[in-house]
Amino acid sequence: MNSPVPGDAHMALFFRRMRAPLVVLITAYAIATFGFTLMPGEDDQGNPWRLSLFEAFYVVSYTGSTIGFGEVPYPFSPAQRLWTIVSIYLTVVAWLFSIGTIISLLQDPAFIHSRRRSRFRRAVAGLSQPFYLVCGYGDTGRLLTRALSEQGHAVVVIDHNADKIDALSVETPASPVPHIRADARRPDNLELAGLRSRWCLGVMAVTGDDSANLKIAVSAKLLNQRCTVYARADEYRVADNMRSFNTDHVVNPVEEYVRRMRLAIKQPAAFRLYHWLQSGPDARPPASRRPPRGRWILCGYGRLGCAMHAMLVDLGLEVTVIEENTDLPGLPTGTVQGRGTGADSLSAAGVETAVGILATTRDDVDNLSILITARDLNPDLYLGVLENGLSSHELFRAAEPDLIAQPSTTIAGSILARIASPLFASFIEQLLAQPDATSDELVERLIEISGPQPPELMTVRISEKRAPALARLLAEDVPVSLDALLRRSPGGPPREAVETLLLRRGDREILLPGAETELTMGDRLLLAGRSGCSRRLRGLLENDNRLARALTGQDLHQGWLWTRLFGRPRITS
Amino acid sequence: MNMSKVVFGFFVLLALTLNFGFFIGEIDNPDHHNVYELFAALVVGLIATVMKLGERSQMSAMLLASSLVVDLHLIAAALVWAIAVHMTDAGLTPAVMATIVSLSGGALLANLLSVVLLTMETAGYSR
Repeated sequence: MNSPVPGDAHMALFFRRMRAPLVVLITAYAIATFGFTLMPGEDDQGNPWRLSLFEAFYVVSYTGSTIGFGEVPYPFSPAQRLWTIVSIYLTVVAWLFSIGTIISLLQDPAFIHSRRRSRFRRAVAGLSQPFYLVCGYGDTGRLLTRALSEQGHAVVVIDHNADKIDALSVETPASPVPHIRADARRPDNLELAGLRSRWCLGVMAVTGDDSANLKIAVSAKLLNQRCTVYARADEYRVADNMRSFNTDHVVNPVEEYVRRMRLAIKQPAAFRLYHWLQSGPDARPPASRRPPRGRWILCGYGRLGCAMHAMLVDLGLEVTVIEENTDLPGLPTGTVQGRGTGADSLSAAGVETAVGILATTRDDVDNLSILITARDLNPDLYLGVLENGLSSHELFRAAEPDLIAQPSTTIAGSILARIASPLFASFIEQLLAQPDATSDELVERLIEISGPQPPELMTVRISEKRAPALARLLAEDVPVSLDALLRRSPGGPPREAVETLLLRRGDREILLPGAETELTMGDRLLLAGRSGCSRRLRGLLENDNRLARALTGQDLHQGWLWTRLFGRPRITS
Repeated sequence: MNMSKVVFGFFVLLALTLNFGFFIGEIDNPDHHNVYELFAALVVGLIATVMKLGERSQMSAMLLASSLVVDLHLIAAALVWAIAVHMTDAGLTPAVMATIVSLSGGALLANLLSVVLLTMETAGYSR
């Protein structure tokens, strides 16, 4: 009949549990007070005297709280002392009962859980800025959370593993990260985490479980059409399923490695750029060594090994497979039985005459061991290795392979690049269609600009809202070229170390637009520069005075009076 | 029959009857209004409030609110009584008594509302 009022469930639970102790407490006080007024006593003159209700309540109050002022206003008669004894035990026991109930309630798991949920709900509701919802706080989730909060985005984390959530609560992220231990597969938990909020920009389904990721992606798409959904899928079947209901970006690590390896062989410079920009905030530009053509050795024929084999064969390369389990279906003929960790199986596969080796077993220690043994036998090998977990990352770096395939950095990097700019995907597509020399030049320029850490990507939109100062100039028909905006003088040193990667004008896209390109309203630019450059550049686009000084070298008269007296100066660049 | 509902209804009703017992009589005549009855009405009112805590339906929110009004009125009446008798030399003059009784009259209204709400809820429940 009555609909429950939404509110703090834990407060309702608290009061329901406190009902009995409070009733006992009130009753004990009432009995003790009432009893005192009945006990016969004498005043200092020896006249019969009894405590009034007010005085009785006073005595009970200080006795019940064990303060004890003594017998006031007159010394008690034996009958009153007898009642004092009764009331002391009555009230003290009632207090013990109440306090005991409160303490046991505070330790009650149901109460703690309900309180955490309310606090989390409040924290999410209190977010008044766009946020991302990260489901699953493994290596990938942690990388994403760290990178996004360093970029100033709010992040909400949900994971069903208590240890991972505890680890998050002791970390100190740059911006607020409300987190909760809950099963992200349940839509009500996603809703609790703010999926339906108007501030929810995107959902990242990056748990280690394919079916959970699928469920999260479906729920997110159904419950909030406006948010962008990024999902991880290890199996091709699941990835196809996700794409079928318009998941915005699906990362399949195996597919991604194969794509990168193919690029490394066919377009090494494009591969360097692709890998560098899409491997998270700690990525370093990969060495410029090109994977040689010749005979390759592939250790492990699991999901990745199988896909790599197909790709290498497709490129017309000769491949020898080393696999421990020779019963696997689809093993190519000529497979060497072994783990690849020992010199015997590597020699049997002909490591001395091979040009490269890919260690793709599911065991990180095996992969490292394959790497080191193979290098001992043939120092010129191109070494590619799969790193399954992030925990032994230092070892892998120390081993210095030519290529590390790491699931978490690959997934997080791929997602982060797309978050940084919606133009990124088409930029990569356009770049891969170009000859490799273009990429080679670009990657060297970017390394010059930002050093070994990946450049910051940003999108600039020339519109009234995003670039008001520039929009006002363009409305006055002042031509502004890229060069004028980004350089101190024509052909001079750059104002800001920034490279323009892509210009989208209507349906047209221009890759690496020239410096003389003139900007028009509605243009979108994809820029890459040193970290922090987007903030400085935004100031230039929004502030009339700064823009005028940048374009003409002169200060602009500001304010109503100046404009009235001298008129609005025309800027010509 | 639900025992907890009986206890709940008992306290809500008892708060009303005790309140009424104190209220009835000439408004300014101390002989018509027993201070123990006021004490009992206050204690039962407090217990009734506690029994209503922690329910989350719209009806129980209203019940709790009316109960809090009762407590407020009766505590005010008890304070007036204690101040008049113990802290000033005035004693229980007709004016003081009238104040106390009229305060308890306000509590009576709120108590009446509690009982009406409870009856409505029960009637709706059986339908």
